[in-house]
Amino acid sequence: MYIAGPLADLIRELEKLPTIGPKTAARLAYYLLSAKREDADALAAAIGSLKDRIRLCSRCFSLTEEDPCSICRDLQRDGSMLCVVGEAKDVYAIERTMSFRGRYHVLGGLISPMEGIGVDKLKVKELIERIKPESISEIIVATNPNAEGESTALYLARLLTPLGVNVTRLAYGLPIGGDLDYADEVTLARALEGRRTM
Amino acid sequence: MRVLALELTAFRNYAALRFEPPEGACIFVGANAQGKSNLLEALALLSTGKSFRTSREADLVATGAPAASVSARVRTRHGEVVAQCVISRAGEGARKRFFRQGRAVRYGDFLGGVNAVTFMPYDLQLVGGPAALRRRLINTALSQSSKRYYHDLAVYAKILAQKNALLRAPTVDRALLDTYDDQLAPVGARLVAERASYVRRLGAEASDVHARWVGASPALTIRYDPAPPIADEAPAAIETGLRAAFVRMRPAELARRGSLVGPHRDDVSLSLDGEALSRFGSQGQQRTAVLALKAAEYALLQRATGEAPLLLLDDVLSELDDDRRRAFLESIGSFDQAFITATDPPVMPPGASASLIAVISGALHLSHEVAS
Repeated sequence: MYIAGPLADLIRELEKLPTIGPKTAARLAYYLLSAKREDADALAAAIGSLKDRIRLCSRCFSLTEEDPCSICRDLQRDGSMLCVVGEAKDVYAIERTMSFRGRYHVLGGLISPMEGIGVDKLKVKELIERIKPESISEIIVATNPNAEGESTALYLARLLTPLGVNVTRLAYGLPIGGDLDYADEVTLARALEGRRTM
Repeated sequence: MRVLALELTAFRNYAALRFEPPEGACIFVGANAQGKSNLLEALALLSTGKSFRTSREADLVATGAPAASVSARVRTRHGEVVAQCVISRAGEGARKRFFRQGRAVRYGDFLGGVNAVTFMPYDLQLVGGPAALRRRLINTALSQSSKRYYHDLAVYAKILAQKNALLRAPTVDRALLDTYDDQLAPVGARLVAERASYVRRLGAEASDVHARWVGASPALTIRYDPAPPIADEAPAAIETGLRAAFVRMRPAELARRGSLVGPHRDDVSLSLDGEALSRFGSQGQQRTAVLALKAAEYALLQRATGEAPLLLLDDVLSELDDDRRRAFLESIGSFDQAFITATDPPVMPPGASASLIAVISGALHLSHEVAS
């Protein structure tokens, strides 16, 4: 089978992307070939500038173009509340809720000795160093609701509570708009434990 | 429950099989390596999601095929269930996918759809073999009847693996070790509480069954031996005990670079008139005790789910003495559905009946109904 060199190159590169198999890669490549010149150029430029222009915020370690990031610079934000997440993409998830007006701190992973990720590999020291100067009174730990996320949250609570901050954890609960009888037993049991007086 | 139809595709030595079991018990007979046990393995796979013979799941896929499929239509008290497991080769290993009524489901949601109790020659080591075998019996039984238990077990194993990795690290972060112990204590306590209650019921049932077979003496006693021992089945009390044990064992755990206490070290002990069966029991006494244990497992699962599970007996008839075998075959009608493998057709006692199915290189031949 012969495929013109540049097209084959593009297909090979696209195949490296997550969730993209050989068929999808070929379809995308042929689509880009037939697309308008400016659309293809815009995509190429966007990809190119990703590596050049995106870096980590020196304060919260989320992804940003300017350092410090726009959230850290925003004076409208409540500086006394800090939401701690595992990965930079989790900042995006919380931001989409439009319900949180504090700032963030990205750990850069979750504690996992099995994968050689100790506390020293995460931005924990940097987190502690923010508490005093930024007068932080509440830290919301929003790590994933799995075993590693839970360990990381408990570890942080153990570490930060003696420093005089209120450490909270996201609640476990039922998905909104779902039916009670469709919820799995484990989630439902956790939701029962976390019930509230009305 | 009853299997109405079983379909195998590229599973072990079955290229394609569709089998509609006749009413009553099915006895698969045939020489070795014809595929008798593969049928039971397939049925067990739909119950526990795992093979009872191998941890190398790629072996389940027929040579040269990319994927195997096992599916069954089962009549349960909740209506008809169509359960399917697809095993695909993936690199060196294999990947499993589970389906219920044709829809993909997670492993945890697959469990509990088809319930079965399996009995195979390896189970005879339940008395004298390693504690892991006895823990597995309890874990399999409790996971089939409680999704919460299965989830707790998985979480406990994950945290324990992290704790062990931490203990092997060049420098051990004590605060992180405390965190793992904090996490293990409540989950571990729930496991211990469930196990204590289960073994108490299992022991009572097994003692009754045993007494029916051999009389009041020697009496079979089954006792749960958790690490650390418990005085009370309340989860809060167990959790306190676990926390104290973690603190007490901390220096030893640091020295040995591994976790030394908790439900992963639990055991179950079997004794006859107070003497440990593993040390003092004869071969025959040990087998009778295992059979009583299995009968109790069946009864408890039936009680917990409200219907009779499938009974899968792989090549154990020949392991039993004449009296036990006759007693078992006489009771065959009391199970909703039993699948049994044997090298030779068994002699059926008066009044008992079963369908005899010859298995010859991956093909089934309904030979005749044996009744006497």
